[in-house]
Amino acid sequence: MITHDVVIVGSGLAGLRAAIEMAGKVDVAVVSKVYPSRSHSGAAQGGVAAAMANSSDDSVESHFFDTVKGSDYLADQDAAEIMTRDAPVTITEMERLGCVFSRDEKGRIAQREFGGHSHPRACYAADRTGHALLHTLFEQSMKHKAAVTYYSEWYLLSLIYEEGSARGITMMNIRTGELEVVRAKTVLFGTGGYGRAFKITSNAFACTGDGVMTAYRAGIPLEDMEFVQFHPTGLYGQGILMSEAARGEGGYLVNGKGERFMDKYAKSKMELAPRDIVSRAEQTEINEGRGIGGKDFVHIDLRHLGREKIIERLPQIRQLAIDFLGVDCIDKPIPIQPTAHYSMGGIPVDVDCQVITDEKKTKARGFFAAGECSCVSVHGANRLGTNSLLDACVFGRRAGKAALDYTLSARHESVNEAAELGKARKRLDALLSTPETESANDIRNELKETMSNHAGVYRGAEGLLVAKAALKLLRERFKSVRVTDKGKLFNTELVEALELSNMLEYSEIIVEGALARRESRGAHARTDFPKRDDANWLKHTLARKNADGSVSLGYKPVVITKYQPEERKY
Amino acid sequence: MRYALYTGCVAKGAGRELLTATTYAAERLGIQLNEMKDASCCGAGVVDDDNRLLADSMNARTFSLAEASGLDIMTICGTCQGVMRAAQKKIDGNPDYKARVNAALLKDTGRVYAGKVKIKHFYQIIHEDYGLENLAARVTVKLAGLKVAPFYGCYVLRPHEYSDVKVPDRPDYLEKFIETLGATPVDYPEKLKCCGFPILMSNKTNSLQLSGNAILGAIKAGADCIVTPCPLCQLNMDSYQPEIEAILERKLGLPILHYPQLLALALGATLDDVKTNTHIVRPNKALHEASD
Amino acid sequence: MAEVRFLVSKYNSETDAKPRLQEFRLDPPQGATLLDCLNLIKWKLDGTLSFRMSCRSAICGSCAVRVNGHARLACKTQAADAVIDGRVTIEPLGNMTLIRDLVVDLEPFWASVEKVRPWLVPDDSKKYERERLQSHHDQLKIDAASTCIMCASCFSDCNVMEVDPKFLGPAALAKAQRFVFDTRDAEKWDRLELLGQIHGMWDCTHCAECSTRCPTDAKPLERITELRRAAMAAGMTDNNAARHVLGFRESIGGFKGIGGSGMLNENYLPVRSMGLSIGGILSLIPVGLRMFARKKNPPLIPHVIEKVGEVRKMFRRFDEYNKEGEK
Repeated sequence: MITHDVVIVGSGLAGLRAAIEMAGKVDVAVVSKVYPSRSHSGAAQGGVAAAMANSSDDSVESHFFDTVKGSDYLADQDAAEIMTRDAPVTITEMERLGCVFSRDEKGRIAQREFGGHSHPRACYAADRTGHALLHTLFEQSMKHKAAVTYYSEWYLLSLIYEEGSARGITMMNIRTGELEVVRAKTVLFGTGGYGRAFKITSNAFACTGDGVMTAYRAGIPLEDMEFVQFHPTGLYGQGILMSEAARGEGGYLVNGKGERFMDKYAKSKMELAPRDIVSRAEQTEINEGRGIGGKDFVHIDLRHLGREKIIERLPQIRQLAIDFLGVDCIDKPIPIQPTAHYSMGGIPVDVDCQVITDEKKTKARGFFAAGECSCVSVHGANRLGTNSLLDACVFGRRAGKAALDYTLSARHESVNEAAELGKARKRLDALLSTPETESANDIRNELKETMSNHAGVYRGAEGLLVAKAALKLLRERFKSVRVTDKGKLFNTELVEALELSNMLEYSEIIVEGALARRESRGAHARTDFPKRDDANWLKHTLARKNADGSVSLGYKPVVITKYQPEERKY
Repeated sequence: MRYALYTGCVAKGAGRELLTATTYAAERLGIQLNEMKDASCCGAGVVDDDNRLLADSMNARTFSLAEASGLDIMTICGTCQGVMRAAQKKIDGNPDYKARVNAALLKDTGRVYAGKVKIKHFYQIIHEDYGLENLAARVTVKLAGLKVAPFYGCYVLRPHEYSDVKVPDRPDYLEKFIETLGATPVDYPEKLKCCGFPILMSNKTNSLQLSGNAILGAIKAGADCIVTPCPLCQLNMDSYQPEIEAILERKLGLPILHYPQLLALALGATLDDVKTNTHIVRPNKALHEASD
Repeated sequence: MAEVRFLVSKYNSETDAKPRLQEFRLDPPQGATLLDCLNLIKWKLDGTLSFRMSCRSAICGSCAVRVNGHARLACKTQAADAVIDGRVTIEPLGNMTLIRDLVVDLEPFWASVEKVRPWLVPDDSKKYERERLQSHHDQLKIDAASTCIMCASCFSDCNVMEVDPKFLGPAALAKAQRFVFDTRDAEKWDRLELLGQIHGMWDCTHCAECSTRCPTDAKPLERITELRRAAMAAGMTDNNAARHVLGFRESIGGFKGIGGSGMLNENYLPVRSMGLSIGGILSLIPVGLRMFARKKNPPLIPHVIEKVGEVRKMFRRFDEYNKEGEK
């Protein structure tokens, strides 16, 4: 058994930011199934929001309101206020840590327009902002290497959570296959999102909701899991992200008839409406036969921006379209379609990132979560672009501070190492000794097909019921999934099977939540309940695992401090 | 066919046999060469480590000299070729930079680089302009039985964006050339690697270990000799072969030929004609037999 | 696409003595990347095939492998572009120890990066209320290096690394450039000092494998030459390599009133490189004698080009060229 004061799981922006906050003050470990620089925070492109007011008369107030409105009023306003208030200082800190931001003519951090934001608020580093931020923290992690222990390429197997307190984790060294128990006073998850369950997704292969599901299996409820954001500009067929910065810089969305169709859906903001609205607009155009050539994609046209602007501000997306579709956006429009992108839901936490375990907001002792795996909730039913990097930085920082305070006065609680290892071993052995009949690949493909078809941009009761039944069958089939690799070293087939088990289970939670929520709000668009229903559904879903493995749903109220819900128009 | 011959420094210094062999081969092939007596050193990538604009402007001066003569440039050194082509592509690809280069050039020399001149290594000229079929017709001594390991040298291959070689990861210029001369090309893993010469003065062990690996690779593949279009590779692998042997703790004794030397041998030159007697590693039995 | 033969390296350090190439036949779908193909092989043909991957959009740096002998990101390479005569060879990265199939031990790579102290040491002499200011022009100087995704492709194919595992290597040097040229960093000189030591920036041979394999704009060789120019401009020339550069400058362009020849003086250069080191100069004697014996030694009276005055004039304005080149 390994012992640390704090074990952080996940080495993206939230996890690393928290680690730096605590480095040198307590004994911190960072566990990740990848090396820190591989984390998916690095794939974020367009920017990070903060009311720096460098190129406008922006204010925290305005950012706060835009975030709440963008969330379709499901965001907890105390949390959204804190995030937007902390934004400028958090970004300033990142700059001071060395982040390479693009600059304006006065040498300040440059800011650009983004969907749903009323001011140019997105601080950016060309179109690789996440990469710039992640590598800044990766650099800091090397600076603090003496004070922080890194367990890179270790896979999280379970959260040890008993009697209301987190006591550690079990994990597997991917490189050697060995199992370990880490005992800690404090466990902090920054394990990212769960977008891999969809056929078209911008998410990395790693985004399989491991942390979220580990918490869920330990008895923590999950909040608002049905809210999955579909990004309007995924590269056709691949789902690879084409930054919203492409629209922020002035790109047009065009349908098969050559029309800029957004005027039908968001007359004043056009392409810069929030993502839920733009994705639905695209899907409607496609569904009604106005995709390009009648197919399931539309175009984003950047040609009028000119070569120079594209090369300076959108170099990465230009290269991606060249590499994956052979399309140079200087000369041709890029084929795009909505792509599963961001998980608004996750592990419920308070504004200091301490995990809460019920409708009454009872705190879990020694358990914190930040970033995409958590649900504060600052994004409510729909996240605004550039608020996710902000969320990870702001709440990574807050989580670090709060977890530090907690840890300084906490002590290690008892952990039964043998029992924990036994449970982990049993789970792995079950996978390694199945009769080897079912292909994980088939199950995964069917899962993704099911989720995209029935729990995608538009959802209806009929499709969701089909999905529910299909998922049940898939989970049954998974019990005899084939893991042919029986070796210990770098057994990625085993890791993928573990990830698939998470994907299957959280997909069920998404579907259950979506089925129950008989309204349309933000990213959750029901064809059979097309209107928002504040009277019945202005509340957060809490999904909990029943003893028999099924999902039970509860709800908790939305925190409304300043802005009463009103109709959302752009 | 007439070219402005850019000799580079080595062919005028420690590798004079390169110029001798070049002159011999060009004469036999009917390629006219006007030596550029007013051209400067290309900078060998080293002046670039010091002052980029100066390095590029110095090369632009060389280009403008050739342009004034109305001839394209023929190089006989892989490093000169690579450095000058890189300079040319950087200048041609950026109008603003070209303006700065020309402003400096005009001020100091009264010259301007227009952008017309072509720069080709001797071996490109043989392949692209002269033609291997024509060469085959001129070969008088079939180097039959001789196993030759081609060693390309970095500068003509990399970075790819500056290279003239069509598929720089799988070049076949030298192999086809060797075959045309009647000899047998030998494949080995190090043929596209670095000889280490640029760091000879600062990290001799690393430098010579790199050359040693290449020589050893060629020997393991059964080569009788190495042929290279770059005299710096030749210098490192030949002049320092005794030191290399000390580092590797084994005898090597592999002759290292300049590209034009092998060419001249096939066109009827004797080993003395191409001055292999100036090499540190003397011609071995296979080389004697093949060129007799 | 027609059926392609994928020759993929398989190895398990627990059971195998050495890696072998295993053939898989696959008909890659239209537009498939090599990563797509590796996944198809893993998911349909051989579940035991192990490799790293994550983002599949060329930003996480996980999936670098050697394709037909050279390092590339599998996710950024179209299968159709990698096929040679119906085949593609996929092997692990070089210069690192193999663990399993296409998975190498990256620890030496990370260790090399850590050696350059890759974090900003803020220059706090100026106070700013908010972010520190940095001009667009200054930011562009560190833009290219900051695009590095740490995929280790350059490290894998670096020629010097093959003979000297202590060499800092291209990724670490590119990373160092990003701090040396960062106007916000306080340790530029200390960094250059560190990088100027043995196994540092001067040990690069310019083989350009790094820039050729680099999948981003980081292009390490370019960054290394920028570091060298910075050291030269700062007069940090007390080492053989920097003196070698001075030897070029002086023999081509002239030095202290002695006119340059427009060419390299191959007699002067080695001696100049050794500085005042008697051992260094003595080390030149065997090769010198050897070359002399073969009449291979460079002429004692240096060859001077015609119209050398033009070149000398350019070198007299050395600093102005440097300044103009900076723009």
